[in-house]
Amino acid sequence: MLSRLHMIPLLPLLGAAYLILFGRRHSRKAVQTIATVAVFAACVVSLDAFFFGLPAVAHEGGIVELVYNWFSAGGIDVDLAFRMDPLSGLLCLVVTFIGTLIHIYSAGYMAHDEDYARFFAYLNLFCGAMLILVLGDSLPVMFIGWEGVGLASYLLIGFWYKETANASAGKKAFITNRVGDFGFLIGMFLLFRATGTLDVQSILGAAGSGGPLAAPLWLGQSVAFWAAVFLFIGACGKSAQIPLYVWLPDAMAGPTPVSALIHAATMVTAGVYLVARMSAVYMLAPASLAIVAIVGAVTALFAAIIGFAQNDFKKVLAYSTVSQLGFMFVGVGTANFAGGIFHLFTHAFFKAGLFLCAGSVMHAMGGSGDITKMGGLGKKLPWTTRVFQACWLAICGVPVFSGFFSKDAIISGAFATEVYGHRLAFVGPLVGTLLFVAAFGTAFYMSRLYCLVFTGPCRADEHTQHHIHESPASMVFPLVVLAVGAILAGFVGVPPALRELFGKHGESTLSIFLEPAVGAPLEVSHHTEWLMMGLSTLAALGGIGMAYVFYGGGYRAPAIAFAKKVPALVSLVRDKFRIDELYGFLIIRPLQALCRIIFQVIDRILIDKILVGAGAFLADLVGRAFRFFQTGDVQRYLAVFAIGLAVLVWVAARPASPDEVLLKVQGKTVTASIEGPRDSALAYSFDFDGDGTPDREGANPNATWTYSGPDRYTVTIVIQDSRWHTRRIIKRDVEIR
Amino acid sequence: MAGPSFLEKAAFVVFAVSVLGGALVTITRKSAVAALVALIATFGALAGLYATLSAHFLAILQVLVYAGAIMSLFVFAVMMVSHDDPHPISLSGLFSRVAGVLAVGYLFYRVAWIVVRERQTDVLATATTMPIPDYGTVAAVGRLLFTDFLFPFEAISLLLLVAVVGGVMVSRPSRPTKDGGAA
Amino acid sequence: MPGTYYILLSLALFFIGTAGALLRRNALFVLMSLELQLGAGSLALLTFARGLGDQKGHVVAFFVMALAAAEAAVGLAIVVSIFRVRRKIDLDTVNDLRN
Repeated sequence: MLSRLHMIPLLPLLGAAYLILFGRRHSRKAVQTIATVAVFAACVVSLDAFFFGLPAVAHEGGIVELVYNWFSAGGIDVDLAFRMDPLSGLLCLVVTFIGTLIHIYSAGYMAHDEDYARFFAYLNLFCGAMLILVLGDSLPVMFIGWEGVGLASYLLIGFWYKETANASAGKKAFITNRVGDFGFLIGMFLLFRATGTLDVQSILGAAGSGGPLAAPLWLGQSVAFWAAVFLFIGACGKSAQIPLYVWLPDAMAGPTPVSALIHAATMVTAGVYLVARMSAVYMLAPASLAIVAIVGAVTALFAAIIGFAQNDFKKVLAYSTVSQLGFMFVGVGTANFAGGIFHLFTHAFFKAGLFLCAGSVMHAMGGSGDITKMGGLGKKLPWTTRVFQACWLAICGVPVFSGFFSKDAIISGAFATEVYGHRLAFVGPLVGTLLFVAAFGTAFYMSRLYCLVFTGPCRADEHTQHHIHESPASMVFPLVVLAVGAILAGFVGVPPALRELFGKHGESTLSIFLEPAVGAPLEVSHHTEWLMMGLSTLAALGGIGMAYVFYGGGYRAPAIAFAKKVPALVSLVRDKFRIDELYGFLIIRPLQALCRIIFQVIDRILIDKILVGAGAFLADLVGRAFRFFQTGDVQRYLAVFAIGLAVLVWVAARPASPDEVLLKVQGKTVTASIEGPRDSALAYSFDFDGDGTPDREGANPNATWTYSGPDRYTVTIVIQDSRWHTRRIIKRDVEIR
Repeated sequence: MAGPSFLEKAAFVVFAVSVLGGALVTITRKSAVAALVALIATFGALAGLYATLSAHFLAILQVLVYAGAIMSLFVFAVMMVSHDDPHPISLSGLFSRVAGVLAVGYLFYRVAWIVVRERQTDVLATATTMPIPDYGTVAAVGRLLFTDFLFPFEAISLLLLVAVVGGVMVSRPSRPTKDGGAA
Repeated sequence: MPGTYYILLSLALFFIGTAGALLRRNALFVLMSLELQLGAGSLALLTFARGLGDQKGHVVAFFVMALAAAEAAVGLAIVVSIFRVRRKIDLDTVNDLRN
């Protein structure tokens, strides 16, 4: 009954529409209530559908709802339809649940902001768009959501648009996304060309080894490969992987709840969702999976290293997100789709929690996120600290916390996967090793963050220290919920090796749950499992330990000494390897130069001087000529008009000019004949001798006359029209010898 | 075809004289108000003429729209604008304007000639029996308006809308702009 | 009544209208004369419509009437606004479009 899927995205969208139009008229309490209720209601509907509607049909494709036939033109038939299967259902819950928490948090965080209603409207818009993306049953519908979240992200990053930096960050996000979207579209087109449909289930169904998607396309690779690669480019844009990750750190310019919701838990995971959703296509082309995994692993490590040297709280978390997304892509890239989604799930909790803690801390520090001036906040912000600890341990991968299970699932899967076949078999262990190092790095930079912010003496100045206070209950409550999630969420994905210990057999709950949607879970031998669990725990503890050595209680001697020894390296890492500058040099500057050239040549010279100038010059010439006649006197114009009319009437009413006037001379006799169309109203009169009186008259157009003597005579012929009472006079000379 | 009855002839003469007389009076007055009154009378007589032509619908419209609405417009305009003018006939460029009048006179002559010449033809010797039973009625003309002439009908309504908007726009009082010019 | 007389009347009316439009100084009179001209045109239309037994002439006369109304409205609006600025509407002085 409540399983009306379209309500899920619709409710937040309605909330957004209402708040955009009328939000300013309401009190803050009303606005926050409307927005939160909208998302919460979507959450309720999702829960209802998930728990009551889905189990029955999970193995037949889930709950489907066809809203209406969107368009059907030529060979394309696209419906606006939503589908909740295990994968999209899980994402739905994540989005609505965490969305609700963020809305509650925002009520407190944005309490002093002027544009309260606009913020909540955009948040609702985002939720609606994300839900469309997740629930969409065909690629165009997903694309609507894809673009919608891009738009919402732009609007929210640049929310405080009066600062140019914020607006630029929003622009950067949108444009980088756009580049990715181009890839998405190409992928979509390739799939359509091969299968003739844009419906996800149909495409997945066509992903068989003999099917249209396996046909070769370019460079010896199949359609599936290229479609997968292009779709992955889109995913890189949305999910901030190399080379399109540059927008995510800048996006921290937006309000912190935005970072928590969009850039941690939901929008950035859209790319992972896309790959998992199109799993059958990727499986058909293992090389594409290799690309996904390698890009993910390299990004994970690269971003983690950058995180070592960042001094802004949110920037650390931003690079952490990029890195963790890399982990997720390794998961799906090793055909361990359940593992990748598992990490998406746990990451949503602990990363959102970390961001909200950041908000709490920055709130306490008067808006600043500079960790060099923090420290000792553990005592002053008890609740925030506890939540941070829970999420921090989760992200480091300390056992029992959720991150441990999900990271472990991915790393084990990387070593155990056999999807690449013989030639690319090295990819699995390669990415696994890279992830190990990245996991170690993750533990290191997150612990560095913890130590510098929460432990040791406070490095802030007197004035700021005075103001440090814990956040209000409306902000603490979501924090606590997320912390609980960060701790417990891992238990749905306990690996088989551990389950054995408790007497349960088979794959983890989550893997079994996701199987109808993403295929059979990756089998990992228990041997490998235990080994990986042990090694990753070591990596986690090692990272934490090293961070403690460097930063426990503040900047310790090893840290300071290191910075002194290789200052160039430190600043390179802190400047994020100067990738943005590289892009500027390679891409943006040439583009701007090109635009300048186009402007100068085409606009200035061609259009302005030649096209416009010539036309204007001619118009001026002609105008000068005609201006002579303009006296400004309307009545004179009318008179000229009337005179012209009279002339026209005169011309029209006179008898037609004859085709020929012939004068045949034979001796002294002349025969005049008028050639032309006959008309009964015409009368002809001929005056041959020039005396003024007509010599021959009548309706006959021919007349004959004999002259008396030789001379040069003028013959006057008058054609008369009796109807109009007009005439035409024709004179001809004739020579008589 | 029987000739026109006495009543028809009398009606025509009365209305025709009124029309011509009214028209002449209209253009020769010094006072705009007097001219207006004459014009209204002219239109009224013209409506009568239409009626004698069996154009009943149009005759009513003539009274309502022309003699009614349009003349009301004129009355308002005269009220706001006019002042009596001692030299009603404008003198500048008189030559070309008289020439224009003469040109129309030429037109008169030409058309009059042919009309008189061809007065025996069916078109000009009007039938006394109605070609269609409801000729000239609202229903018949309306039928045409909404079928064959639907597009021009709609276009005209758009035109009237444009005229209304244009009239309002043109006659708004000018507001002084920053540099003192008219808005 | 034979149509000839109507046509002649229409011509005469048109002639009078033109004379008024071209010879008078006051803009309002010119507009009034224009209305006379339009009336003459309608008369001719209706005469021929009856002669041909075809009501299309009525429809066109109907449109002429609507046009006359629109034209009168806009024309009068212009006259009024010119008057507001210049305090007179004599056509020999309102010749700003010169050159």
